[in-house]
Amino acid sequence: MAEHTTTTTPSWLLSSNVGLCPCGCIGKRTKGSFVEKTLTGGSDLLRQVMFSDDLARRSGLLQRLDPRAKLGGMLLLLIGAGLAHHLETLLATYVVVLALAGASRVPLGFFLKRVWLFVPIFTLIVVLPATLSIVTHGDVVVELWSWHGQPQGLTAQGLRSAALVVSRVAVSISLVVLVTVTTPWNRLLAGLRGLGVPRMFILVIGMAYRYIFLLLDSVTDMYEARKARTMARVKHDRTARAFVGASAGALVGKANQLSEEVHQAMVARGYRGEARVLDTLRLRRADLVALAVAVLATALMLTADRMLGR
Amino acid sequence: MHIPDGYLSPSTCAVGYAVAIPTWAIASKRVSKVVKTRNVPMLAVFSALSFLVMMFNVPIPDGTTAHAVGGAVIAICLGPWAAVIAVSVALLFQALLFGDGGVLSYGVNVVNMAIILPFVGYGIYRLIAGRTPLTSGRRVVAAAIGGYVGINAAALAAAVEFGIQPDLFKSADGTPLYSPYHLSQTIPAMAIPHLTIAGLVEAVMSAAIVAYLQRADVSRLVPSHPGIPLTEADRAPRPARTLAPARVALGFVVLMVVLSPLGLLAPGGAFGEDNPNDLNLNKLGLHAVPAGLDKYNGFWSHTLLGGYGFSSGDHADLGYILSALIGIVVVGVAILLIGLVMRAVLGRRDADREREQEPQRLG
Amino acid sequence: MTTQESLISHDHAGPPTLSAGDHAPLPADAPPGAIFVARGLRYSYLDRFAALDGVDLDVMPGEMVALLGANGSGKSTLLKVLDGLVFPSEGTLHAFGHLVTEGNLEDEQYVEAFRSRVGFVFQNSDTQVFSPTVREEVAFGCLQLGLSAEETRQRVDDVLGMLGIADLADRAPFQLSGGQKKKVAIASVLVMNPEVLLFDEPTAALDPRSQQWLAELIVELNAAGKTIVYATHDLDVLEQIATRCVVFSEDHRILASGPPGAILDDTALLLSANLIHEHSHVHLREGQRVEHSHAHQRGGHHH
Ligand SMILES: Nc1ncnc2c1ncn2[C@@H]1O[C@H](COP(=O)(O)OP(=O)(O)OP(=O)(O)O)[C@@H](O)[C@H]1O
Ligand SMILES: [Mg+2]
Repeated sequence: MAEHTTTTTPSWLLSSNVGLCPCGCIGKRTKGSFVEKTLTGGSDLLRQVMFSDDLARRSGLLQRLDPRAKLGGMLLLLIGAGLAHHLETLLATYVVVLALAGASRVPLGFFLKRVWLFVPIFTLIVVLPATLSIVTHGDVVVELWSWHGQPQGLTAQGLRSAALVVSRVAVSISLVVLVTVTTPWNRLLAGLRGLGVPRMFILVIGMAYRYIFLLLDSVTDMYEARKARTMARVKHDRTARAFVGASAGALVGKANQLSEEVHQAMVARGYRGEARVLDTLRLRRADLVALAVAVLATALMLTADRMLGR
Repeated sequence: MHIPDGYLSPSTCAVGYAVAIPTWAIASKRVSKVVKTRNVPMLAVFSALSFLVMMFNVPIPDGTTAHAVGGAVIAICLGPWAAVIAVSVALLFQALLFGDGGVLSYGVNVVNMAIILPFVGYGIYRLIAGRTPLTSGRRVVAAAIGGYVGINAAALAAAVEFGIQPDLFKSADGTPLYSPYHLSQTIPAMAIPHLTIAGLVEAVMSAAIVAYLQRADVSRLVPSHPGIPLTEADRAPRPARTLAPARVALGFVVLMVVLSPLGLLAPGGAFGEDNPNDLNLNKLGLHAVPAGLDKYNGFWSHTLLGGYGFSSGDHADLGYILSALIGIVVVGVAILLIGLVMRAVLGRRDADREREQEPQRLG
Repeated sequence: MTTQESLISHDHAGPPTLSAGDHAPLPADAPPGAIFVARGLRYSYLDRFAALDGVDLDVMPGEMVALLGANGSGKSTLLKVLDGLVFPSEGTLHAFGHLVTEGNLEDEQYVEAFRSRVGFVFQNSDTQVFSPTVREEVAFGCLQLGLSAEETRQRVDDVLGMLGIADLADRAPFQLSGGQKKKVAIASVLVMNPEVLLFDEPTAALDPRSQQWLAELIVELNAAGKTIVYATHDLDVLEQIATRCVVFSEDHRILASGPPGAILDDTALLLSANLIHEHSHVHLREGQRVEHSHAHQRGGHHH
């Protein structure tokens, strides 16, 4: 027979001394480590993505469209931007994207921040050295030094290339962000399904999306718990690495258990390997018009680009 | 390692999708057959995990970031085909929701991180772990090395994709239309952070996860390791294994993959003189280049720089595109080879296992 | 075991162990018409952590059975066995007169019948609520079991309305509070209209008002002819929502089973199951049951 749990509370737990440190010191605040920043940054980002749901529920131009039309149009314009060889084409496209954002009641400040931080800015920094003649050969327009009698410095080709890459990156990200902030997550998923992504993928995507939040919470909890238990400050790097090692195992344990239980929950409701879904998408005329406009816009973009020269 | 849209030409992206789509098709077929209903939640949770792992990233100077992916360890836990799906889904979130990695370049990102990484990592893991029992310490080491090599192979592939852009795609006056850096610049820029930081994180993570599973629930590893004994005790005596040709080929491909980034480090040193921007990278303990690597260095600079002399802008585009295709197709074929080999091996083991034991419910 | 009163009948003293086979007949002592007949169930996680150690249980139609027991005594595991989610390593389970085994549940017809007749609300609603939206979550079971989209949509709306969560329909489950998630989990099971409902700690995470509401819902469902088996730590509402209590011991066996009044009166039994603390008293004879603790007055502690 099982014993009674007549546990006696150890006296140290009842004493009024704070923590382990008998001097009662509270310790000083330390700056967050890389891991901590990523964690808080990550959960902020996730939260932001959730908030973008209310943009998706505003009544704007893009919000009214079927997700398949939006995704299809986005793909077309992305290809257009990819094929464009001229800065002018890309800038014109960007203006159109901004106008679309305005028509969809996406606040400009939010949109610019979301797009430009951080990939395009980072791209800008990255391509700067490529403006130099040592990377991109060509006509030196700003001479900085000379080497073996050859003038070296910024080249026209380098500058143009840098501008081209940065603006293409910005246009592309703007297009994707515009579509995702104006489409609620489940509609986006339905759109992907409508575009022919197999059901099993859709199911995995939908569930993974949900479990990102759950696992992120566990990581944050684990990190917080660890931080709460760690008094002495170890070197940042090493702490971070040890944390990654130790928590990865525990996280997988958690993930494993989670997947087992989710599996049981699905099986309990009749899941046998193939999920059926409520399909609610219907292409309306407006969606077809939107798609046609996207096709036209892409064609126009590429024709204009060709007319500007090769 | 996420390549954003705008860095790669649409044709490169198309090649990426051309490799990714058939791989997905095979993967989903194989996965549904092997693990039945259990796969969906498992895949979902592991892609969530991979997504979280990728969030811990540091920017590196070629326009992307260095981070662990978890592809190798997912391949070890669920099998490489499942890893293809899990990492692809994680990449999809990154691309759609966080603008990290592009939509057109998604196919290429999938090839690097969701195909090359898990298959190379898994191949190395199997080579090293052999038929040691599931609880053996050698498997932990094998997972670490598999993760390390896998992520570096993926980084190398990304560097190659970047590096061929300026030579393949430029306007009439020589303006690079996409990523402007050459192979001699992209390879060290990708290799150094991945050989040091990201590779290490991937290795530590893979090892930690395998060690954890060995301790906590080794039965989780059983489905992806058919025919492998649990402990030393249940190891059945087996006839000595002959080296199958496929196995040797796989070993060779893997060896090449391991060697190539090392060899390519050598131009990195030379590059540092040219480009002050990247000097700090070269300080990262890469002064000593093993003498033998000079050979590879010569080999690479000969073929790549010789073939793509970037001063002459009027090279036939066709030739360039062909070279790009060949580069990617070679990688693709290598993967396919590995896949075929493993399918054969797994198929045989599956059959063995079905004969040997009643399938037992786990967990 | 010396603590049982005569009022409390032991559930089948000598467990007749049957070897599991896909066609094992009903045990001879099985009451006719029983929904679940479990004999000698044994289960351990990873072959290491025992969870059930020889459990016998009969559940008759229309019963409201409360499973009581300390943390880790095996309640959740038993519910999972009853729902055919984990399979005992020893012992047999018959549901609706048919043996439940992993092999049997691979039969399309059998599994569909079984899943539509038995519903299970998990202890951890985070794992149960896995779809992108609440609506899809609730629709999941019906669609899996082949109901038409039209009928499913109708049922989903009805059930969301009944639980007062219609306004959450298009929300994502991760945006919900613990109690709301629980309601979604309950809705996703009720929508399938199963005849047997298994609840694992249904009232945990609910606010007091919702707890009361759920207790009433259970009674109402029972009155409508549903059989209900649930695990709970909430001793206060037992007399209201249980026709029988089954008490687990910490060594994963059933200590006793009987009407709630008798079980709750048996302080020694509850103590031996580690369900209550020596210092907490369940006042049964008062109009309202109150559970409270006396001040700690044992030696060694000074306040
Ligand atoms: N996934 C698991 N892996 C290993 N052991 C487990 C697992 N789940 C439960 N157990 C063990 O099985 C035993 C029974 O667990 P079970 O969840 O059935 O208890 P319970 O009565 O529902 O407890 P509680 O009141 O805390 O919910 C416990 O000892 C527990 O440690
Ligand atoms: Mg429980």
